[in-house]
Amino acid sequence: MTPLTHANSLRAEIDADGLEGTVALSPSDVLDRLWRVFTSMRTALVLMLALTALALVGAILIQAPAGLSSDPQAYAAWLERLRPKYGGWVPILDRLGLLSVFQTIWFKAILVGLTTSILACSVNRYRGLWKTAVRPRTRMAGSFYDRAPQRATIDAGDDLESTADATRSIFRARHFRTVVEADGDVVHLYADHFRWAPFGTLIAHISLVLILVGALVGSAFGFRNGEFAATVGTTVDVGGGTGLALLARSFSDSYYENGAPSDYASDVVLYREGVEVASQTIRVNEPLSYDGVSFYQSFFGPAAVMRVADAKGNELYDQGVPLLWSSDDGTRRVGQFALPGAGLTAFVVGAASGQVDPTIKAGQMQLEIYEPGSEQPFAIEIVSQGKPTTIRDLQFTFQREQEFTGLIVARDPGVTFVWLGAFALVGGLFIVFLFPNRRIWAAVRRLPTGGSEVRLGATARHDATFGPEFQDLVHDMRLALEPGAHEGKGHTVVQDV
Amino acid sequence: MKERGTPLFKMSEYSFVAGLLSVALALICYGLAFASVRVARRRSVLAPAGLGGNLGGGTVTVVTRGPGAIATYGTLIAWLALAFLTASLAFRTVAVGHGPFANMYEFSVAFAWGVLAMSLYFERRYQQRILGLVALPVALGLLLYATTIPSTSEPLVPALQNNLLLTTHVAVAIVAYGTFSVAFAAAVLFLIQPEGGRRPLPRPEVLDEISYRAVVIGFPFLTLTIVLGAVWANVAWSSYWSWDPKETASLVTWLIYGAYLHARVVRGWRGKRAAWLLVLGFAATLFTYFGNLFFGGLHSYSGLNQP
Ligand code: HEM
Repeated sequence: MTPLTHANSLRAEIDADGLEGTVALSPSDVLDRLWRVFTSMRTALVLMLALTALALVGAILIQAPAGLSSDPQAYAAWLERLRPKYGGWVPILDRLGLLSVFQTIWFKAILVGLTTSILACSVNRYRGLWKTAVRPRTRMAGSFYDRAPQRATIDAGDDLESTADATRSIFRARHFRTVVEADGDVVHLYADHFRWAPFGTLIAHISLVLILVGALVGSAFGFRNGEFAATVGTTVDVGGGTGLALLARSFSDSYYENGAPSDYASDVVLYREGVEVASQTIRVNEPLSYDGVSFYQSFFGPAAVMRVADAKGNELYDQGVPLLWSSDDGTRRVGQFALPGAGLTAFVVGAASGQVDPTIKAGQMQLEIYEPGSEQPFAIEIVSQGKPTTIRDLQFTFQREQEFTGLIVARDPGVTFVWLGAFALVGGLFIVFLFPNRRIWAAVRRLPTGGSEVRLGATARHDATFGPEFQDLVHDMRLALEPGAHEGKGHTVVQDV
Repeated sequence: MKERGTPLFKMSEYSFVAGLLSVALALICYGLAFASVRVARRRSVLAPAGLGGNLGGGTVTVVTRGPGAIATYGTLIAWLALAFLTASLAFRTVAVGHGPFANMYEFSVAFAWGVLAMSLYFERRYQQRILGLVALPVALGLLLYATTIPSTSEPLVPALQNNLLLTTHVAVAIVAYGTFSVAFAAAVLFLIQPEGGRRPLPRPEVLDEISYRAVVIGFPFLTLTIVLGAVWANVAWSSYWSWDPKETASLVTWLIYGAYLHARVVRGWRGKRAAWLLVLGFAATLFTYFGNLFFGGLHSYSGLNQP
């Protein structure tokens, strides 16, 4: 018994006397108490069920997309879109945090509590597991053999020594480890199988913490851009401190006869400081990974290649402008680019594919030019392909239509921990059920008659497959040890069905 | 596009129908066997001396009486049903060129296969035929549901074009779902009994053990399902976890069974409450499974809402 559990049992007595409230708590008492709370299975159970309830809410109610709440306008618009579904409940659900449960303080508090509890339990269990595996208790009192859930007594014809040896070799033949301790007229024998398997649960629990650490590292040091768009034929800086630039050489989308998509493929080249470092055709199940940064096929759409020059003919801009957004009614596509030198922002508006637009005809784009901080464009112009248009001394040319490919760019330094944890978790769990730990004690006693007696006992840990296994072992031992057993003398096996 | 009329599809569908009918027939046999046990018991209560086997003196062998031939037929037919469903899935795999796990029809047949396989495994292992009385209706329900939805095979959309992960992710899930159905069956049989048990139902301790064994197998498989899903999501959707509704629902299921494994050793939670957790866990399993139909989200591959 560890000192700690001893202290706990003392406290239990105090509790029983109803003195608890009057005992002044020292800091070590508080720690002790916290330890007791966090190592309690009941705590684990309550925390797991609380997490279950939150996750259930998260599965049933539509959750706000990550990062949306940082943009109040977009968030309000998103809430508005829930109205038809949840009606007047929207503000209430929003107030309660039920539309982003995985960002709430409750969720985080439960995870912290669960992590603490898992660590405390692991520390608590570790000593016992180690001791059981390395220095198991080898001898049991006689009363153990009277009451063990699995037990048997065998009368052996041979003397003590040979019976003990025979018993041991039967265990060994079944791949049990045996520890023998002779004590006068009794030989104590301990046998176990898969003694390291109980560490599977320990591994599984620690792995859970590792996964959470990985998630934390990812959200603290990771980087993610879900709206990276590259117009075919142009090179775009990847950003996020990666120092990379990406050229989309081509993009293609293909469809089956029934109209369902069959393939999206972007042929891209990756540069660092102008030097090609990687190239690949990115597909939905084939992301490109380079130096910890991954590029995933995500979306696509039309783009307008624009050229802007100043009055002296110096080129200010020559790039594809991805028309990333759709207008509310879906008839138009909108893209945007900045002219930092001129201090202007330009929006490029085109007709959505398949739409006939009365103002923006085929081969045309509409330009809207804004000054910084202004809500109103100071110029709205329809520009035709290849025809330069002058706006405030700047010459805008819509060169041609093109496609853009939309990629998700992500770098997640925590992912290594997550996979390590995930596979150790699965491994630990499979160990537990593939390699059931077995422990059996035996006491071989010299009988006055010259023969000997073997008593067997085992504590079956709620394990139904162990029962028949034990009976099978006893059967073999009887055959080997009992005089005349092999001559067909029957025996009864008591077994519940 | 794969045509329905090809011989392999036909073979798959014939096997499916044979499997469906066999499950129904097996269930009838199980029901009759159970009813005959109850009748036999009532008779033996009326005539305690027993006309059966107790005349020879010597050892008293108490065998629950009666099920006999019809029960054996039930088990045989259930194995036959498993063989038919296996054949149906195998033909379909060859016909479509990937694991038969890409739409709701295929999931349902595979799920029913898992329920049947696991319940037969546990029936053999624990000699408890009665498990089938609860588990077979689950399999039958899934198969009947499968008859109501289109069995056509559409070509795979880009996200699903990962043969290895599509096959393993779902195949592993099927094992987990099958074992959870067995745990559910045992939990139901546990809950309908009064304290101390009621014959001829299996004793509560035995049922408790069966549930536990089933979850100890199912839980690692569910964990593996989720991990493989995360691996796939990391490849196809750029992130191993994104709180997609189906992901979240599977986490709910996982947490309930995790809670169950701990509840079994907490005082006050053993027995009835733990059994209720298994019922809840199975409800969560079904919720996760049918989630495709109403969640939307990234997992919308049911094949039921194609244009
Ligand atoms: C999401 C969180 C958790 C999961 C998924 C989990 C999973 C498991 C699993 C699968 C087992 C094996 C059950 C068996 O073999 O019967 C187990 C056992 C156990 N768990 Fe947890 N657990 C979690 C949290 C915790 C926490 C917070 C504690 C601390 C109180 C804890 C303490 C234990 C203990 C003491 C055992 C028994 C270990 C043994 O028999 O060797 N678990 N857990």
